[in-house]
Amino acid sequence: MSDAKKIVLAEDNSTLSLLLKFRLEKEGYKLLIAADGKEAIELIEQHDPELILTDIMMPFISGLEVISHVRNKLNKQTPIIVFSAAGQEEMVLKAFNLGANDFMGKPFSPNELVIRVKRLLR
Amino acid sequence: MYSYQHFIDYFKNAPAIIQVVWVMIVLFMVIIIILIIYLKLLRSRLRKNEKIVAQYQNEYESNLITYLYSGNEEEEISAEQQLIVEKLKSCVPDKFKRRVVVSTLLRLRNEISGEMAESIQKLYFQTGLINYALSSLKSKKWYVVAKGIRELAQFHVKEVNDQIVIHVNNPNKEIRKEVQLYLVTLFHFEGLKFLDVLQTQLSEWDQIQLLEVLQRFDEQEIPNINPWLKSKNDSVVIFAIKLAKIYNQFEAKDTLLDLLEHRHKKIRVEAIQVLSHLQVYEAKEVLKNKFNELSLEEQIAFFKLLENVFESSDESFLQEHIQHKNFEIKVSALKIFKLLNIEKFHSFKRLLSAPKDAEIIEFIENN
Repeated sequence: MSDAKKIVLAEDNSTLSLLLKFRLEKEGYKLLIAADGKEAIELIEQHDPELILTDIMMPFISGLEVISHVRNKLNKQTPIIVFSAAGQEEMVLKAFNLGANDFMGKPFSPNELVIRVKRLLR
Repeated sequence: MYSYQHFIDYFKNAPAIIQVVWVMIVLFMVIIIILIIYLKLLRSRLRKNEKIVAQYQNEYESNLITYLYSGNEEEEISAEQQLIVEKLKSCVPDKFKRRVVVSTLLRLRNEISGEMAESIQKLYFQTGLINYALSSLKSKKWYVVAKGIRELAQFHVKEVNDQIVIHVNNPNKEIRKEVQLYLVTLFHFEGLKFLDVLQTQLSEWDQIQLLEVLQRFDEQEIPNINPWLKSKNDSVVIFAIKLAKIYNQFEAKDTLLDLLEHRHKKIRVEAIQVLSHLQVYEAKEVLKNKFNELSLEEQIAFFKLLENVFESSDESFLQEHIQHKNFEIKVSALKIFKLLNIEKFHSFKRLLSAPKDAEIIEFIENN
């Protein structure tokens, strides 16, 4: 388990976080869950994960600020997948400009997310 | 003791107005103290409730996730899943717990798609939650009915369509709104068939919400809107005009032309605007021939249409209106002239020499 690749998941919907944790841990990854952007930044700084999954709209610090922090302050090239809801197209563009690698529009299929995670961590 | 007696003496000897003020001060202080105590109690009760909800939510969340991951391909429902179904079934008769179960299922249902979303819907049926939503449709309280319909839409329960459609013309507008959103969310453009039988007014807000739902879908093939453009319900006609514009319904051109004779000015103006958007040249001739019979709004809308479909044969008509007393018509006529015949446009500088007209010409010239 110690060799498992670490993924930080920043998502304020606890049910979705729990579902993705189960799904991705089944695939052999280690999930670190953050309920908001502030927690996500703390986890990223502490654990230096191999991948970051982040929602855009979160309390305290948004997903966009998380991306900006990782790319500009920590200067890390960790792959980032962004979750966005319908009508947040502009936010997604901003996320890509800030350095996100991929995005998934909600509602999304957890199986599809696993495929994208595997592709980015190959 | 001395100061206490001193205060009583002071109060007794004080003028009536001062006494009233003191009584008011004491009264308000008592009210404020009671309110502070009440708010404290209310807040602690709400916090306690929040804690209980969070506790139940955690429990139901893990039940839900276990249910979703304990299925297998051999059985319709695994033993572990059956256990969870039974457990949740025992919770749902309690109104408070039922609310938490439904919100937990919805929190996930709204975020994911595919097989798992279908499994959540299955669980909604297996736990009997659907029966509570269906029984709420028979309630005498409007908000219970509206909430029930919304829940059925959120869980994508298409099977109860017949029981929902009967509320299309319900006297309560909230119920009607939920019915409309249910139909369009689940049946997309097909769901718009409720417009055939809608007798009540479709408010501007209802229309915005329906259009917002419709634009979320990938398939954008719209059914025949002609019957709605001919509807006796004016709000349905206005909504159909919006559909014609958004989905470029050139096929409905003839019916839209008929609307130029509609009894309501608002509909006639909107019809001109959509015909302008679709660049229907026939509309130009019809409106040009009866220009003087049109209301001012229609005349303005017609000139906007003309900006899209002008031809050199319109020159003389335009020339008649470059001195129109309405600002918008004058600007439109000059704008078209600039594109149609620039030399003539420049010649208007002499004709329209008033300072305001000169400003208009200068603006059009530079833009």
